[in-house]
Amino acid sequence: MQQMEFDTKWTMVVDVDKCTGCGACMVSCQAENNIAPMEDGSNKLKTLTWMLVYELNNGKEFPNREVAYLPRPCMQCGHPACVPVCPVVATTKDEEGGIVSQIYPRCIGCRYCMAACPYHARYFGWLDPVWPGGMDKALSPSTSTRPRGVVEKCNFCHSRLLDARQRARAEGMDPNKLPDGWYQPACLESCPTGAISFGDAKNPEHKVHELIKNPNAFRILESIGMDPQVYYISRRDWVREQSDNVAPGSHAENHAAEGKH
Amino acid sequence: MGIDRRTFIQVVTGGVVGSLFTPVIWKSLDDASIWSQNWPWIPRLKYGTITEQASVAKFGAAPCAEIVKSVGGSPYLTRGNAENEMSKGGVDPVSASGPQLMYSPSRVNGPMKKTAEGKYESISWEEAEKILSEKLAAVKGRKGKLAVVSGDATGTATEVLSGFAAGMGAECYLMPSDEQSAAVALSSMGGKGQIGYDLENSDFVLFVGADAMDSWGSVVRNQCIYAESRPTGEEIKTTYLYAGPFQNSTAAAADRWIPVAPGTGAIFCLGLAYHMLKAGASASASDFADFKTLVMSRFSPDKVEKATGVAGTDMAAIAKRIMKSSAPVVVAGSEFAQGVGAADVIAASAVNMLLGRINKEGGMKILPELPKAVEAAAGRSELAAKDFVGYLAGIASGKVAAPAVMMSYEANPIYALPQNTALAQAVEKSGFLVSFSTYMDETASKADLIMPNPTCYERFEDAQTPYGVGSAMLAASAPVAEPLYNSKATVDVVLGVASVLGIDLGYESADEVYQAKAEKAGADWDSLIEGAAYVSDSTESGSIKFAASVLSKAVTMPKGGEIALAPYSKLIIGTPTVAIPPLNVVAISKFELMGKDLMVQVNSKTAKKLGVSEGSKVKLAGAGGECAVRIHINEGVMNDVIAAPLGFGHTAWDAYSSGKGENISKLLTVGTESGTGISVWTSSFVSIA
Repeated sequence: MQQMEFDTKWTMVVDVDKCTGCGACMVSCQAENNIAPMEDGSNKLKTLTWMLVYELNNGKEFPNREVAYLPRPCMQCGHPACVPVCPVVATTKDEEGGIVSQIYPRCIGCRYCMAACPYHARYFGWLDPVWPGGMDKALSPSTSTRPRGVVEKCNFCHSRLLDARQRARAEGMDPNKLPDGWYQPACLESCPTGAISFGDAKNPEHKVHELIKNPNAFRILESIGMDPQVYYISRRDWVREQSDNVAPGSHAENHAAEGKH
Repeated sequence: MGIDRRTFIQVVTGGVVGSLFTPVIWKSLDDASIWSQNWPWIPRLKYGTITEQASVAKFGAAPCAEIVKSVGGSPYLTRGNAENEMSKGGVDPVSASGPQLMYSPSRVNGPMKKTAEGKYESISWEEAEKILSEKLAAVKGRKGKLAVVSGDATGTATEVLSGFAAGMGAECYLMPSDEQSAAVALSSMGGKGQIGYDLENSDFVLFVGADAMDSWGSVVRNQCIYAESRPTGEEIKTTYLYAGPFQNSTAAAADRWIPVAPGTGAIFCLGLAYHMLKAGASASASDFADFKTLVMSRFSPDKVEKATGVAGTDMAAIAKRIMKSSAPVVVAGSEFAQGVGAADVIAASAVNMLLGRINKEGGMKILPELPKAVEAAAGRSELAAKDFVGYLAGIASGKVAAPAVMMSYEANPIYALPQNTALAQAVEKSGFLVSFSTYMDETASKADLIMPNPTCYERFEDAQTPYGVGSAMLAASAPVAEPLYNSKATVDVVLGVASVLGIDLGYESADEVYQAKAEKAGADWDSLIEGAAYVSDSTESGSIKFAASVLSKAVTMPKGGEIALAPYSKLIIGTPTVAIPPLNVVAISKFELMGKDLMVQVNSKTAKKLGVSEGSKVKLAGAGGECAVRIHINEGVMNDVIAAPLGFGHTAWDAYSSGKGENISKLLTVGTESGTGISVWTSSFVSIA
């Protein structure tokens, strides 16, 4: 599969050990991206959670149980499995920065991309989005509303990238060389434990440039070659070992990863 | 002219080539795809100027300083305000939903009174205030006839209510919280002021019960301090331990979880004190000798192990580790931010005293109260120490007469009180129930008069020294949006009614009160509403004692052999005042709510003992009621313990929270702590059927 290379690589690094699983990132994500509230949130096949916090555990019985929380946005893969399967070119990876787009008006709702995504990061709108009463007054101007019947996913709050580029142009700077911290997704802004870091992995002035080289840094399902732009860091061996259940020497069969939210 | 084969091919080829070059077809297809998704019921986005304004959100259990983003004057998103010391950046999951809560379908649109048929009728503010004034005039100066309860421990609004209650000759209470136990504890130890913990300068933090990452103290601030001590990709600067019955958010984030049986936090702390005393620790307090005798005689490792489940060797190792740290601190509280005894806080304070950590950097602080804005109001600690649950338990048992009028501010007592079935009925026994709730909650649904307070985005608001923080502080905010409905700030209502009844509180409007508070505290009002917090470095002077006589009576060994309930509270599920916010519904774990069934958690050993398995439907019965629940097997729960989330089982509000799960508060058993006399409910036991 051909991989497009960009000079900028927007990358998220999540410190799993610092995540308390509070869910503030999931709430902010919905507010920023106009995901309508749902009356029944327990049917996880129908919920739209662009950012989803998973609960992991070490698979041991009491009192040796350990638990960790793993926030999962779209991985913005370098070799995205979703892009080549889309019959109508509604999802692409062709913009500087490497964010995989999702063009809602073009999507025909075939869900091939959902089947292809190994990270379950794509969601299909099964229900009409409803903001009861006056709740539509709290809609964000950043993201268009979608009808039911199309696939949607995290885009690293792409409109914020456009805003940051606009600011750079206004200040006479190169919009493709944004300073660290100018572009931050909503989940990062709300996270109270600073578990989420974000920046351009190819820019040595950005913190994530070093973080991805941390000896405890890993990516999920690295061995299947998707080259995700989301990294995780954990000091705990059992957390890192669960990242890839097909890698040689994997201990995944001894552990349990459970979708929490 | 006939059409021959050549002409036909030319026309077809021309048509095909032409269609490839004309944009009409492609544009039509593109438009069709766009317009096929352009249904009238999909809302249009509102465009306009995007503005940002600092605010103090009171949606969560503790105040959260945040930046509110608005478009065309309508708030739509929040983020943490890192410049404000009160919460240091970041937002909690309830405050993150603030704008959506402002537009919630549960908002009360204007004042209403209950009719003879039990329905609600909209009335004007003049009429509502006239009704309230008449009811209050009838009880003015008559002891026990008026009770006021506030769910806002930090706001100056509560001072106004307290001052008003004093003028009426009535009592003002706070809804139950950890602050109550701490206030009683400090008073028992001979101290005055408010207990706080300087977590940011500590190198070893032991939380006993207190779920600092989800319910204890100022949660967002706790989380930010925790995060600062462990920068991503760098070395850990502060070690965190959590001792409690359930692997909650704090246990998950901590370096180690120490399983400790529910309701035995004080015994655990005194067990640590045993090893410290044995190692030669001491403190210059008048009752040190009594304390030492008490601990060495009654809290030996074998007894502590039997009660808490922590082995003596482990306790010794933990005590040694704490003593080795240069700036350790021990923090005790309830796993669900209410109902813990003063003994737990006294016992943890005793450990801090043995470590020499009182009023030291990174230790336990005794903070001064900020000067009162309303002179007639009770002091913060005096107010916090009052026992609302005890008062209602008296009404429920018939020992205390129900008040003729009860006023409820920023509180939902009919839903949130322990032993809920009995105590909610005690609230309903009030002759005339007035709710100032912003939302149609359970209390408003039973009230005789509803006088809706606007949300904190639509009114002036302030917050002083949230319980648990390490310095006295004050934050304030101005409205970020125009009032959405016909609501009126409760402070203005109370000031108006006080004036009618001849009670002089010294102010004529809410913003005057808040500005006076800032001025008396020595804070700059303009800086406060621009988003900065006023922080005082001072601490209370004077020593505290071990309160050994109180500990001797209050700490008793559990009987054992029963299934203990370990309730927990998570902000994603809401707070005692705010039900599940609309956007939080999808973020609730499937291990806590499945459809409309509440999931409770037990480990596999307990499940086997109880004869239940994953998904089993069972009925939990406590002293105060029953709950139908399902079982989830979670190895992060102690043996013989059932962990269960609070925050479900609402009967009012909206489709996002009503009718989901069960209200575990029904199962909580209220007892009285010997030695202090306050109500406690962290030791509740259940049977399974």
